[in-house]
Amino acid sequence: MVLLNVDGVECRYGSVKVLEDVNLKVEGGDFVGILGPNGSGKTTLLKSISRILKPHKGTILLNEADIYSLKSVDVAKQMAVVPQDTSIGFNFAALDVVLMGRNPHMKRFQMESEKDMAVARKVMNLTNIWHLAERPINELSGGEKQRVIIARALAQEPKILLLDEPLTHLDIINQLEIMDLVKDLCVKENLIVLAVFHDFNLAARYCNSAIMLKDNKVFSAGSLTDVLTSENIKSVFHVDAIVKKHLVTNSIFVIPLSPQKSSPSRKCSIHLICGAGTGTALMKVLLDEGYSVTAGVLNVLDTDFETAQFLKIPVTSEAPFSPITEKTHKANLAMICEASTVVLTSVPFGYGNLQNLEAALAALERGIPTFVIEEVPIEKRDFTKGKAKALLTELKSKGAESVKDQNELLSMLNVSIEKFKTAKEERDRILDHLKPEETKIKGAGEKS
Amino acid sequence: MFLLVLALFVTVIVSLNIGYAQIPFPDILGILGKQIPVLNGLIDSSLISPQNTAIILQIRLPRILAGVLVGAALAAAGVLYQGVFKNPMADSYVLGVSAGAAVGASLSILSGVGFAFLGLRLVQVAAFVGAVSAMFLVYNISRVGSRVPVATLLLCGIAVNFFLFAVVGLLEVVAGDELHSIVFWLVGGFSNVLWRDIWAILPFILIGIVASYFYARDLNLLAMGEETAHHLGVNVEKSKQILLVLASLTTAAAVSICGLVGFVGLMIPHLTRLIIGPDHRILLPTSTVIGAIFLVICDDLARVVATPFASTLELPVGIITMLFGAPFFIILFKKKKQSYAT
Repeated sequence: MVLLNVDGVECRYGSVKVLEDVNLKVEGGDFVGILGPNGSGKTTLLKSISRILKPHKGTILLNEADIYSLKSVDVAKQMAVVPQDTSIGFNFAALDVVLMGRNPHMKRFQMESEKDMAVARKVMNLTNIWHLAERPINELSGGEKQRVIIARALAQEPKILLLDEPLTHLDIINQLEIMDLVKDLCVKENLIVLAVFHDFNLAARYCNSAIMLKDNKVFSAGSLTDVLTSENIKSVFHVDAIVKKHLVTNSIFVIPLSPQKSSPSRKCSIHLICGAGTGTALMKVLLDEGYSVTAGVLNVLDTDFETAQFLKIPVTSEAPFSPITEKTHKANLAMICEASTVVLTSVPFGYGNLQNLEAALAALERGIPTFVIEEVPIEKRDFTKGKAKALLTELKSKGAESVKDQNELLSMLNVSIEKFKTAKEERDRILDHLKPEETKIKGAGEKS
Repeated sequence: MFLLVLALFVTVIVSLNIGYAQIPFPDILGILGKQIPVLNGLIDSSLISPQNTAIILQIRLPRILAGVLVGAALAAAGVLYQGVFKNPMADSYVLGVSAGAAVGASLSILSGVGFAFLGLRLVQVAAFVGAVSAMFLVYNISRVGSRVPVATLLLCGIAVNFFLFAVVGLLEVVAGDELHSIVFWLVGGFSNVLWRDIWAILPFILIGIVASYFYARDLNLLAMGEETAHHLGVNVEKSKQILLVLASLTTAAAVSICGLVGFVGLMIPHLTRLIIGPDHRILLPTSTVIGAIFLVICDDLARVVATPFASTLELPVGIITMLFGAPFFIILFKKKKQSYAT
């Protein structure tokens, strides 16, 4: 059983620390994903393991032997690297490139033997490139070239395979085929695989453990499910992400949301009356625009409810699949009173949530500006035999603004806020005039 | 490969025939045959004039063999440099070897001392010493810790080259009557080659070429990039160091007897690569032989081209290599450049 032990490794370029206190213990059959943002030290870690960058402190042991005390040839028999940059200076034939992987197994004065040819043939069949054997490497497509490089690494018959973003140039089918192959070897031949990934989902699909780097240190390490959590992704990558287990592949999958925009807070809160997923996209957009958002009434387990939970939006909620009770309705009204604007989405109405329309009406009566998004005509989503339609018509007749979609809503919101601002400025100006004379004189005195 | 070696032999024999004195082929073969002990008794020497024997053995043969050795040396060194540097512009002079040799030679020419060291002329010894010192200078300037990065090596080489050629320029300005000798040496030629010159450079060139052949596979791997070569089990720094020293010694030896013959070290490796591909295990020996053939033919031309105008005038071979080699290369390149995407 091969054992790779990275112990307290620290690397520097000059006086700049690029890797600090990394510990890692892997054995045959482990498929370890190395995750982290750009510049977090992923490639540096691979470089120090592959003997390119000698650690300043700490040791890297390959089967108990310090890897830096071994000869290049002996390490190359055990460890192969698929680099990020695969440009090749001279135009060798694909087979010749793969045969170069046999170098560590050949003596200086030896030509390739039958066995070397057999190995090359085997790995080229595995990577599905035997038919390209005689083709010059620089005439191959990106995917084919990458397969040649991987075949070369496999020709070394390594026990450890280091992959530095091996899938950058590949389309989806090539990515899956190559990773399937590597995973297969990892399981069957007890290979150690260490791979730098930028794609969480590929990492999640193939790795059984992972190490996540942040600021040149290990932020989290262990089994994949422990490392790849939305909390970790949030604090390392500063991206909100939904992490779930996929029903088909049975591996976890990650949906990154776009990074939080740092638009200035508008000091303006919006209450969403939504449900059944009609508010999900809007919640994120409004937050990004700098509004503070509340929502209700939503049933627990409703898509909008889950989104609100995820985005940490305050919600008035009702028990799953239950009609809105008087108590929740009142709580919702209380929440609405705090808001400066109410937005009603194109949510379908049944007897269970009809009260939400009444809540909107109540808001309007209290002078809170109310917007109605009518992406879907009310006839198609009214399951209350016209009651909802009647309420909506009443709402509009009492001054609720109707908008056709999210974009229109956003521009209307901007206008109403501008209006609000101008009104405020106007009021301030008037107030200014009414201020006592002495302050004005004082100001003029300072000038002269 | 066998055909190429045969071609080299034929070139040598044909070249022996070329010259002012007309010596028929049978006589040439007879004269050569007599030098080989086994064949000695079989050849009727009465038909061969001692004068012709002297012309062939003392004048033409050493000159042609010098062409073979220098051509082989420069082409092989060019392959090594281009392989190590992964740079198509690298040639056998890239590490300042040419400039060092030029300074050494110019100084010795100006000194006017013709003194001989083990039978060698001072110019040769000085050129060799200059070349080797320049190479070590460049190598040591470029060293970063225990590593010698290719980019710094290339840049230092160019910087030192410029500096040393500036020195040569200065020497030329103050040279006066000796200017012609300096210029003639700088362009390169074989007109004064003697047997002892051949013996002096033979070991360097032979060892250089043979030893570097053992590193041909390393060169292939270095072409993949130094890090990749390292991952594939090459001791990169050591291989690089050995290859550069071998290439530079070979070049220095060649330059010391014939001056700066250009083009061979740059173009012959490219030309050979166009024909047989990039595998250094084939490229290195093939280039070596093609370099030898090429330079011998160029030297033949150098001897012959000007003869119609004045029987004693001959051109420096360096001019021929560039004058005829460059267009030939361009034609070949235009024909095959598609397959030569580097």
